[in-house]
Amino acid sequence: MSLPPNAAAALKAGALKAGALVCGVADAAAFDAHAPDGHRPGDLLPGAKSVVVVGGAQPRAGDWAATSPWVLQTMGTTERIQSVGRKLAQSIESELGYYALYVPPGTASGDTPFLSLMLAAQLAGLGSRSLAGPVLNREHGFMYWSGVITTAPLDTDAPDPAPACPAPPCREMWEREQTTPCLKTCPAADGGCLAGRLDHGRAVRTFYDGARCNTRVHTHWIGGFQKVLEATLNEPDPDKRKMLVYGDFFTRTLWAITYSSTNIAQCFECMRVCPAAHGLKEMKS
Amino acid sequence: MTREEQVKAVGRKAGARVVGIATVEAFRAKVPEGHRPEDMLPGARSVIVAGGDGPTAGAWRCPDHRVMEITGYDLRENVAVHAMCDFIEATLSHRAIQAPSLAVHGHAPPMSMMHAAELAGLGSRSLAAHIILHPEYGLLYYAALITTLPLEPDPPLAEPACPHPGCVAMYRRIGTTPCLRVCPACLSGSVRDGRIERSTYDRERCHSRAQTYGIGSFQKALLQLVNEDHADKRSTMIHGDFFTRSVQALGFFRDSIAQCFECMRVCPVGRKYRKLE
Repeated sequence: MSLPPNAAAALKAGALKAGALVCGVADAAAFDAHAPDGHRPGDLLPGAKSVVVVGGAQPRAGDWAATSPWVLQTMGTTERIQSVGRKLAQSIESELGYYALYVPPGTASGDTPFLSLMLAAQLAGLGSRSLAGPVLNREHGFMYWSGVITTAPLDTDAPDPAPACPAPPCREMWEREQTTPCLKTCPAADGGCLAGRLDHGRAVRTFYDGARCNTRVHTHWIGGFQKVLEATLNEPDPDKRKMLVYGDFFTRTLWAITYSSTNIAQCFECMRVCPAAHGLKEMKS
Repeated sequence: MTREEQVKAVGRKAGARVVGIATVEAFRAKVPEGHRPEDMLPGARSVIVAGGDGPTAGAWRCPDHRVMEITGYDLRENVAVHAMCDFIEATLSHRAIQAPSLAVHGHAPPMSMMHAAELAGLGSRSLAAHIILHPEYGLLYYAALITTLPLEPDPPLAEPACPHPGCVAMYRRIGTTPCLRVCPACLSGSVRDGRIERSTYDRERCHSRAQTYGIGSFQKALLQLVNEDHADKRSTMIHGDFFTRSVQALGFFRDSIAQCFECMRVCPVGRKYRKLE
């Protein structure tokens, strides 16, 4: 079966209609230079030719403006973009007749994803890595990603030649203070996660404490549950055990787990201060 | 367009691969009191069943078994059922509820979605753990709604989807079928005159293999943790992959429904939809 000439464009239109903000296609072979063995498209789907990536479902302008930290801590969601990914996989198989594999979100083991969706987004021309870590799209900023690996030889997109990071205000801040908003809000040298510099206007990340970042981003998720469970089982005093089990921390971990498709992260500080993370659209106050 | 066609079109548009209708009376012959549609919704007249796609053909081909273990399911049949409920209440002014299908005692649900799918003409029980097979698409996942709206039902299948002609020929040749051969530990059965003559399966064993990560594994690990006196061993167990994956599965985080698909992997019913470019 040959692909219709507009297959990639039709898929992209379908993705946007289903709720994605952006959609791009990466060449499956392009992952070989960057992804480790076992985590390339062909390792998950034999004969993989393309990876379709969709982005969206990011916090809204109102979420970023909310004064309560609990809003983003409890309501951030990748669910909406994952449903677009699933829909695309079904469309590719039923409409184009090629194999399609929805890339499972989350990790294969430990912190290792099946396929890096951030790498996929970069290779599909949808954004570039920021100094803070997340891939930022030039128009929409920070967003969540979903991907579909397929044997369909779709027309691919080129990586974005102009990175969203550093944004012009960050360049000016670097000239002035030798730091940027994200580096300043979470400095590795002062208990934070990030270190880096701007080199001829380009962001160069020199250090990222992934383990520390993970414990801050997922304070109420599976790791939090395991932590309190361990503390509870190690606690000999029944009254203290009861307080641990019924306390806010453990209760919130259970909410996070049972709403885990919705409840993604509890720290957004590097993205909160990033001028490139919130998109170009101006909101009325 | 008839009312039946209207409702089915809403379900298919919302993601169902197939939609079928059964009357509530059809449940009385085999369903015990307390588990019939009218026991859930007073005045119930019809049950509408939606079948949603299982794994994509690409997922069936994935050599990494963990992919199917955690993304075997896409939940669209539930979305379709809710879309049809909304349509029935808002447009046709009849009551409609999603039929409850999660187990409430042991493995027993308030209402059997498998039986509802059979009565709505969407499939028949198979030699493979009695999984309902649609004659065209094979393995689908089912959800249903109960409504006070009277509708013309679909007839049950005239010919069962299982055994497939290829399986009948295989049984004649070597006395087994693909599913019985791949999982003799869980499945047993026989074929006679092209029909299932006898079919049984070891549900407890099948369940422990099909759902290695989920509520059961969480309960198992939790009991072991509570019974473990050594703090270091507890710590290793709590932070190990098995417990972590059990908690992830609990959270529905990755739609982790089942971790064994082997009897369905070899089943020829609906396989043509798994053969793509």
